[in-house]
Amino acid sequence: MRYVIIGGSAAGISAVEAIRSIDQKGEITVISDEKYPLYSRCLITYYLAKSIDEKKLKFRKEDFFQENRVNAILGVKVEKVMPEQKKVKLSDGRELTYDKLLIATGSSPKKLGIAGEDREGVFGIRRIDDIKGIEKIIGRVKTVVVLGGGLIGMRDAYALNALGKKVKVIVKSNRILSQMLDEASSEIIRKVVEKNGIEIITGLDAVEITGDKQVKGLKLDNGSKLDCELVIIGKGVDPNTELVAGTAIKVHGGIITDGYMKTSAADVYAAGDVALTEDILSGETTINAIWPCAVEQGRIAGLNMAGEKEKYDGSMSMNSLTFYGIPVISIGITRPKGEGFEQILQKDTERNIYKKMVIRDKRLAGIILVNSVTQAGVYGELIRKKIDISSIKKGLLDSNFNFMKILPLVQDNMDSFIEKGFQDLLLSCGK
Amino acid sequence: MKKKIFCAVQLCLACKGCEIACAVEHSKTKSIIGALKEDSPPRKRRDVQGSKETIMSIACQHCKTAACVVACMAGAMYKDEEGNTVHDEDKCVGCGMCIMVCPFGVITRDKNIVLKCDLCPDMTDNYACVKACPTGALFAGTAEEFKKRLETRKVHEVKK
Repeated sequence: MRYVIIGGSAAGISAVEAIRSIDQKGEITVISDEKYPLYSRCLITYYLAKSIDEKKLKFRKEDFFQENRVNAILGVKVEKVMPEQKKVKLSDGRELTYDKLLIATGSSPKKLGIAGEDREGVFGIRRIDDIKGIEKIIGRVKTVVVLGGGLIGMRDAYALNALGKKVKVIVKSNRILSQMLDEASSEIIRKVVEKNGIEIITGLDAVEITGDKQVKGLKLDNGSKLDCELVIIGKGVDPNTELVAGTAIKVHGGIITDGYMKTSAADVYAAGDVALTEDILSGETTINAIWPCAVEQGRIAGLNMAGEKEKYDGSMSMNSLTFYGIPVISIGITRPKGEGFEQILQKDTERNIYKKMVIRDKRLAGIILVNSVTQAGVYGELIRKKIDISSIKKGLLDSNFNFMKILPLVQDNMDSFIEKGFQDLLLSCGK
Repeated sequence: MKKKIFCAVQLCLACKGCEIACAVEHSKTKSIIGALKEDSPPRKRRDVQGSKETIMSIACQHCKTAACVVACMAGAMYKDEEGNTVHDEDKCVGCGMCIMVCPFGVITRDKNIVLKCDLCPDMTDNYACVKACPTGALFAGTAEEFKKRLETRKVHEVKK
């Protein structure tokens, strides 16, 4: 069996592990257009901020490819997938034949489509090469403008602020983290980041990046100008689907997959930021471009490529990050639109604590937790499994909410909690 | 896999002896007096929790397909060859992805990293929490062994 995996990040590497867990003999080739293997994309802002070194960027051991007998082709791009011939065409002219193919090409920073975007000093922070590019000019940078106040933009801002640069974040909407958080929690984080020196400018957008060869500033849509030497584009990502354009592999804002991570072409799978999957809560087909989803999808794809019949549960939007010591986690639907939602919340402004539960049809549909996050996964499990929470609703926001508070629900819904961890705990209760 | 830790709820008195023993085992001096004098107080990786009816001492379940391992973007949370869920605190960046997905809520934050049950790597004979449990509620072994133990009915007599 010849497995070819395009992409060497979360989904691709996870697929290798899944394949090797059942097929020791098959030939595995991983192709990545990056020279640096096995580094965690999510950690590069930590690396830029110098809170970790290059060694700690790796999310698997140095010898991962040898250990798993993987033929790694690095620094080479796959130009085209040819599902009819079961081949892929590489940028160095080679063609590889596969029996099973995984497309895990991930995503790239969204382009702005404004004038001056190609000037020196404009970056999206996505790859090690971006960091190396920034490091080359960072010495002469005094002011950085980050475009985008979402998770990506705020992470970028955090890293550059840690390097001692003056950072201004331009947010098109009226608040930061508007996809992840509601107004109240967003406001808490805004205060925290502003207190730490990051300037937030809301309700405006860039219309032009000015300068000559190098960036000198920005023009905003209200006519005002900002001086800066570095512009970071942090406005989210687009899936890397170019390599399947014009093939039988169906794309609709991402590669379409079935419940088994298989694409519309025979023996071709897709996983990670490039793949469309069903969202557990909305039922819609979407991309939840987060590390945990990529790893899980890669695992499912790998198992199925190696002959299993493993179903993917679907993805769920969620995220976790920490701003200057304040941890924030959001899961599921956090800013409900339309009818049928109930929200209960708790706020402790002094301690920067905020908790919100979004309930729909007796079920938890989403949560936001600020500075009190330990039980996030317990709530998350109730969301994922769509358990009727009526009997424990009153205690959801209690400071001592924990697994034991949901135990009666686990006992009443044994069919939904078949994992061994739950079964062992139930054993403890003599059930 | 190393022996798993179970808790017989009928026997747990919520004395929290396991929590203290856990914190002490993870201190530098490994003694309660020494631990209290250390620069940063040692942290427990086990939690006694419950409702009026049921009390349980709970920690990492070392899940077969562990959500924390799947979610860890630093490669800090991983499965060792025996199937134990291991956390490399040196690699941890404290992003909290594992906390976000742990269905048992047993991963906690400590400064810039997270902590969880590590099955007492410095002990060879037993686990600190199991050793400290005065009623024998905590038990180390397989699910089958634990089941058998509960079935003896007079489980309160099976003390160490």
